[in-house]
Amino acid sequence: MNPDTQARLERFKATPIDGQALKKLVEAGLTWLRANQQTVNSLNVFPVPDGDTGTNMVLTMQAAYNEIGNLGHRSIGQMAASVSQGALMGARGNSGVILSQLWRGFARGLHGQDVLDGPGFVKALAEARDTAYKGVVRPVEGTILTVAKDIAAAAEHALKETDDPFEILARIIPAADASVQHTPELLPVLKQAGVVDSGGKGLFFIYEGMLRYVYGEALDAPLVSIQPLSAMNLENSMEAVEPGQDYEVVVDFHPANSLDLQRFYGDLEEMGTSIQVGEGEGMYRMHIHVPTEKRYQPIDYIMGIGTITKVAIENLLAQMDDISRKTGGEKLTLATIEPGQIAVVAVSPGPGISRVFASLGVAAIVEGGQTMNPSTQEILNAFENLPTDKVIILPNNKNIILASQQAKDVTVKQVHIVPSRTIPQGLSAMMHLNPEGDVEKVAGKMIKSIDDVATGEITVATRSVEIDGVEVETGQVIVLLNGKLVLAAVTIEEALLGMLEKAGAVESELITLFYGQDLTATEANRLADLVRKTYPGQEIEIQDGGQPHYQFIVAVE
Amino acid sequence: MKIGLVTDSTADIPDELVHRYGIRVVPALVNIGDQSFEDGTGISREEFYTRLPRLDPPPTTSAPSVGSFQERYENLFKSGVSEIVSIHAANTLSGIFNGARLAAESFQRRIHVIDSGQLTLGIGFQALAAAEAIASGALVEEVLARISSIRQRAHVAALLDTLEYMRRSGRVSWTRAVVGGILNIKPLVELRDGVVHRLGQARTRGQGIQRLTEALQAWGPVERLAVLHTNAEAAARQLLEELKPKLAVPPLVVNVTTAIGAHVGPNGLGFAAVTSG
Repeated sequence: MNPDTQARLERFKATPIDGQALKKLVEAGLTWLRANQQTVNSLNVFPVPDGDTGTNMVLTMQAAYNEIGNLGHRSIGQMAASVSQGALMGARGNSGVILSQLWRGFARGLHGQDVLDGPGFVKALAEARDTAYKGVVRPVEGTILTVAKDIAAAAEHALKETDDPFEILARIIPAADASVQHTPELLPVLKQAGVVDSGGKGLFFIYEGMLRYVYGEALDAPLVSIQPLSAMNLENSMEAVEPGQDYEVVVDFHPANSLDLQRFYGDLEEMGTSIQVGEGEGMYRMHIHVPTEKRYQPIDYIMGIGTITKVAIENLLAQMDDISRKTGGEKLTLATIEPGQIAVVAVSPGPGISRVFASLGVAAIVEGGQTMNPSTQEILNAFENLPTDKVIILPNNKNIILASQQAKDVTVKQVHIVPSRTIPQGLSAMMHLNPEGDVEKVAGKMIKSIDDVATGEITVATRSVEIDGVEVETGQVIVLLNGKLVLAAVTIEEALLGMLEKAGAVESELITLFYGQDLTATEANRLADLVRKTYPGQEIEIQDGGQPHYQFIVAVE
Repeated sequence: MKIGLVTDSTADIPDELVHRYGIRVVPALVNIGDQSFEDGTGISREEFYTRLPRLDPPPTTSAPSVGSFQERYENLFKSGVSEIVSIHAANTLSGIFNGARLAAESFQRRIHVIDSGQLTLGIGFQALAAAEAIASGALVEEVLARISSIRQRAHVAALLDTLEYMRRSGRVSWTRAVVGGILNIKPLVELRDGVVHRLGQARTRGQGIQRLTEALQAWGPVERLAVLHTNAEAAARQLLEELKPKLAVPPLVVNVTTAIGAHVGPNGLGFAAVTSG
């Protein structure tokens, strides 16, 4: 340890760890997690664009930090309770919900404490573990839960030798790291996909960020990193357009000499944000967001260090406008709910799908889905002001069920969750809505109806992987049938027909195709005609779903 | 003391039973373009339902004229009856009951005009119970009590192929609130006390038939049952075969009359039942 770090550590040790100190630590954990967000996002088991764990955890931590940013509590117990509240309401995705439960337990462990000491820290970590395990109906090992458990165990072990909280923090980092590395041994699907658990990795970054802050190490700049091209997450960076950074520039190039990454990042940081560098297929790809006046700078700069093969510049603001026009252009007519009636809240990934849910009598829509998981707060807001106490939530995505559960836990309304994992399942449930019915019975019928329909989802693989015996290469069209990867194909046409065959569509009555925003109506109709020809005995319906990333969501029933 | 029984064509009583009990049936009118047909006799159900989806403008229906009721009543009195029981389609859904009521006012003698609160065999079973009571020599008070008892236990539910016809009819207010046909859905409806309730909806006929059967089972044991259809004879027969083992009474199979069919569309399936009291 160098003398500067040593001196800083001594200063920390001399100061009590109170509420204000916790605020700094939370901020550090958030900052470091955000710096490593893409790394966590890339640890996706399925090669599909779905709820990114890194993004979900960052947004959850951000909500926690927003809650405490202006608080002046000196007591660590009070501050932790506020962190917990913020995380609870801001939780997105399953990993975000579990993270919020960890904070809830952590706060419970510190209840009534003014400052943090070694035994208090260890107790809080143990409470965090217990609360998180209880927050999941069927805990699965090899996930963030296991990492939380191993962290608590390492802390208990460390307490035998030291009661210095900083020393305990320093010792749990390697334990967390080892635990993350071990996750594929516990969860076969991780091993198959060749990744470690993303939620566990995110948790590791939060604690590591805290320790880096204590040591005075850099948090804001990401470690110089280079990722496989397939892991670059260019599509989703739309969600993170910072003000002033109006243009997205992507440059493919061959460096003249071997790339000095440290310098490369350093120079790019002078120009803009959201920097990502990928390597693969014998070339490099650079991604950056820059202000209007600097839109050509990255190109000129890279021309100076190598040969450019391709440049793409996009106006992010215009794109955002486009998207909001698409989604906000038409007003939805939602069901009017009378007091005492049942109100259904549905999560929908696209404007077309929202319209369909509205036409079936949904009272509120929460926008979100595969790549944008709504927070507990957003789900709660959707129904808190409805003039009824009887609420049914259709999450329509496996990664939104827990956040829905959390929304149920924080409201006084009588909420039932129908654990629909796909859009077709949610629509199938809507067939049983009787607004005047007994909410318990209606929810029960809806839950039963989920299995009445088979769901096919068609998207483009975000990386190469072999999973469930299907070999997939980046860029291939892939098919998920009821959440399971069943097919990789070259064209959408091939994928669609292959999916229908595997779903046993010939035995079905009705095939409904929801086409996504990436397909034109003409192309979608051409494919629908093809399906009609192949399945003359079935009724075929085609709808503009408007969902991102998924060319088709298909219901077979 | 002889009692006469009058109903209207929307009661869907099979001809054989109409003749057996001497029931007088006043036909509603179905208007296709410039032509007006007597419901049940003017145009065959098969022809009507086959043409229905392509009829533009869509057909409309009218209640029988007050005069046509007067004529029936008059004939009955002439034939020697001293009192008439006249039972008709739900007042909330049709003008038939009102026409009968106005006609009855012009007679000095006793005519009991009854709002069945129902349609198709939901009326028919009330009328048949009355006919049976009359045939067994019951007093008019007993006949009316019998009707009232059946009315309280009468259920009608249907799976429609589309909501379109019902929406277009303008007779069921909630259908207007259901934003039109983004997804093709097959609504399940139930008629109770003159009000069409929304029982649910289905995406496929298979799911819909299953839900319809569940609704029937939820009513409990039945003493009278009819399988209703709008030109979906084969599906109705198949449904009947599946139900037979569970039924104590042999059900009627009825192709629903055109005056109702115009408002629900072809290819519908349903049940009319009277639960055991």
